[in-house]
Amino acid sequence: MKALKMSKPPDDAIRDILRFSLEKKKVQAVFSLSKIEGNGYAYALISNKELLSNICPTFPLMPVNSAKMISRLTAVEAVKSPIAVVLRPCELRALFELVKLEQAKLDNLLFISFVCNGVFPIKAMKDGLDGKLEKYWENARIGQDFAELRESCRICESFVPDNADIVLMTGGSQNNDTSSVLMKTQKGEEFIEGINDQFVEEDRELKGLDNVRNRRAELKKTVFSDLKTEDFGIQGLARIFGRCINCHACSKACPICHCNLCHFEAAESESDPSTFEVDLNNRGALRLPTNTVFYHVGRLIHVTISCVGCGMCSDVCPTDIPVATVFTKIAERVQNSFSYVPGRNVEEKIPILTFERDELEELGE
Amino acid sequence: MMGKVIPLKENLNTTIKEILELLLEKECFDAVLVPVRVPSGESFAYLLMKDRRILQSCTPLPPIMPVQGARALRDLTRRGNSNLKVLCVMRPCEIRASIELAKLRQIRLENVSFLSFDCPGALRTKDYINSPEESDNQYQEIIATWESENFRSACNTCLHFSYEGLPADLHIHLTNMKEERMGITPLSDKGKESLSRIGIECNGDLSGWQTEVNEISRKRIANRDKAFSELRDKISGAEGFHDFFSDCINCHNCMRVCPICYCRQCFFDSSGEAKSEAEDYLAKIGAKGGIRFPGDMMLFHLGRMSHMALSCVSCGACEDGCPMEVPVSRAFAFVADEVQKMFDYVPGRNEEEPIPVQTYQEDELHQYEDAKGTG
Amino acid sequence: MDGDFLPRIIGFLCNWCSYAGADLAGVTRLKMPPSLVPIRVMCSSRVDPLFILKALLGGADGVLVAGCHPGDCHYQTGNYYTRRRIALTQKIFSELGLEVSRLKLAWVAASEGARFKKVVTEFTEQLREMGPSPIGEEVFL
Repeated sequence: MKALKMSKPPDDAIRDILRFSLEKKKVQAVFSLSKIEGNGYAYALISNKELLSNICPTFPLMPVNSAKMISRLTAVEAVKSPIAVVLRPCELRALFELVKLEQAKLDNLLFISFVCNGVFPIKAMKDGLDGKLEKYWENARIGQDFAELRESCRICESFVPDNADIVLMTGGSQNNDTSSVLMKTQKGEEFIEGINDQFVEEDRELKGLDNVRNRRAELKKTVFSDLKTEDFGIQGLARIFGRCINCHACSKACPICHCNLCHFEAAESESDPSTFEVDLNNRGALRLPTNTVFYHVGRLIHVTISCVGCGMCSDVCPTDIPVATVFTKIAERVQNSFSYVPGRNVEEKIPILTFERDELEELGE
Repeated sequence: MMGKVIPLKENLNTTIKEILELLLEKECFDAVLVPVRVPSGESFAYLLMKDRRILQSCTPLPPIMPVQGARALRDLTRRGNSNLKVLCVMRPCEIRASIELAKLRQIRLENVSFLSFDCPGALRTKDYINSPEESDNQYQEIIATWESENFRSACNTCLHFSYEGLPADLHIHLTNMKEERMGITPLSDKGKESLSRIGIECNGDLSGWQTEVNEISRKRIANRDKAFSELRDKISGAEGFHDFFSDCINCHNCMRVCPICYCRQCFFDSSGEAKSEAEDYLAKIGAKGGIRFPGDMMLFHLGRMSHMALSCVSCGACEDGCPMEVPVSRAFAFVADEVQKMFDYVPGRNEEEPIPVQTYQEDELHQYEDAKGTG
Repeated sequence: MDGDFLPRIIGFLCNWCSYAGADLAGVTRLKMPPSLVPIRVMCSSRVDPLFILKALLGGADGVLVAGCHPGDCHYQTGNYYTRRRIALTQKIFSELGLEVSRLKLAWVAASEGARFKKVVTEFTEQLREMGPSPIGEEVFL
């Protein structure tokens, strides 16, 4: 596939590409992670090329899953003229799932993604990342694990984007001061066309990342088997979700959770006091607020078929419950049982929204 | 103020537990709502219980307040009156929030009684979860000394930590803990009746303990004045406000853990706010050249203040629930203080007293009107 | 196990097939243990997995979801979705160590009174062996 080699780090390369596209009016606006006032980082939709100096697309933070943000932008109607969107592989996969759930529209969006080396937990934004960035990029270059990253990132095998129009090679055996920009689609090629002559063309495939993938797969096996969800039962569930304060931050941060009014917050899931009295008679005691395990197992049923393992849920939990570990593990098992990979193909239906006439014969006798 | 001084058996929690057991045994109440340590051990959750054996494992005064008690009570009585007589063991701020929610028709107080206690403060939940045993030991000391660096910021400036203006039924005095004793006072007829039924005669004069309360109040007022004057400078103007909240990721968690924020779907989460047409977003970019996503950071916080500041009991749940440790309760307590002063209103002191925006006087607040006008 | 224990089964029965089948079993006086509490739904695909979860968390010993045989759904394709949903729910339960066999899916036609009796009797027997659901005791839900 066609590729450009640019003698600058990925963030600079992307800035150049986006500046070029705004100048040539190939897009009306661009969407990327950006530095904002104070210490913060946030996704931004930018039409003024002067503000591009603030963007930092590959900076290792994910304050919010950008798929949710693109959904906000396009749920009601598609954008009418082109916008370039820079996002991580898991965010792009989550976006495709949201399209299948009718929560986003892809028209006029061009996707730029990159080989993802993971992000730090969002708390790190507070403490500042100055001391850690060098180590982060060094580890990325040599393909080594970095224990301070989100657990979900350390066990993620899907860090090479499937469906972007343009992909940047970062890390691997790559020198951090150069970027390979791969045009994976016609749209991507047209987007880059006409960019400054000084860039060199080369044929580049995305390879050499197997050792990273294997290392992460090994770690995932360990993390999942340590969790022992198969031994939970109701007591194990009460234990792991015991600290839950029913804030639902995990649901609000999750890109797949999209309901305007979540069932677990609606009046329909509230009970008359007489229901509590029945429970009190049967069990002797009942935790309040109620429906904690119900909420988590219910959410497992709702989202795991599309879970992309981004890890936002664990990050936002105020009581440090390993939500992402539980969800990602159950998600893997559920997705395997339907041979489904969320986000790999936007035309592919979500398994429980479709059926085969001849299948699952053992169920129902 | 008549009551009874009770020497501690083992520790404060065991002593209170015994009283709760008696209250259930003698049928003063049908059930008790009280914090219990969770199965994994590093936090606490409210349990509504009838069974006296389960009462054995409760912790009436936990070092942390992961769930604001009013939220737990709201779950129980939002849809109707409780037929069981329930005694809720809660901190003063939780009781006051419950009273506010009753005014907002989210809690029904029939058959609900409150047992309160002097609250030294609550530790930050995340700190506790990281080292529960150490924190438990630390808290034993804190109950005796009433000072700690590790409290939530809201607790260091809280003036409503005792029984004054608190519509509870029973109150436990803890300001003399150094002498290994606590006091119990009935604050209502129901309270009086319950204590006499379990054989506690309120023949002691506890008004002397007021001196300790006053001493602590003085310290807290000083803390508060200092904190608020520092805050006033820091948070001043749009830029100051923006800087103060610069770590905010717009997760809206502060709203969800707040006992007063009761809307099932918050305005700031609704389609109108959260999902506009693409062209609307692009139009917003305008002269600025860019907008952040999510974009409602200032609107959300200022909007939430305007919705709930009058009822804010400054419990600090918002700060405790913030994944980025933004000092939300500092800002909210500060603004709440100012607006409540404006109406001479203290949230939670009296269920009959309407929230200022639920009522009006025909002749008031003229300084806010443009009486002369241009039309 | 406890011979006196009568399992409590919540049964979601589709109006056109399985509810009619259950009715037929009753009308023809087929004896079966009084363990099932029937809830009529128009189609088995109305059964939200959350209903099943709520029933089990509420202390039900078993949940039965019964519908038309595949191909015979009154709404053509409803029961195909049901099948996938039950498969998903059972998968999640098994991954969480919850007793999967407390959730049962059965196809029962309107004419199959005898089959309904068989399903209920066998399910009840199976649940008797398994004993009461441990979820009924749990307090930290």
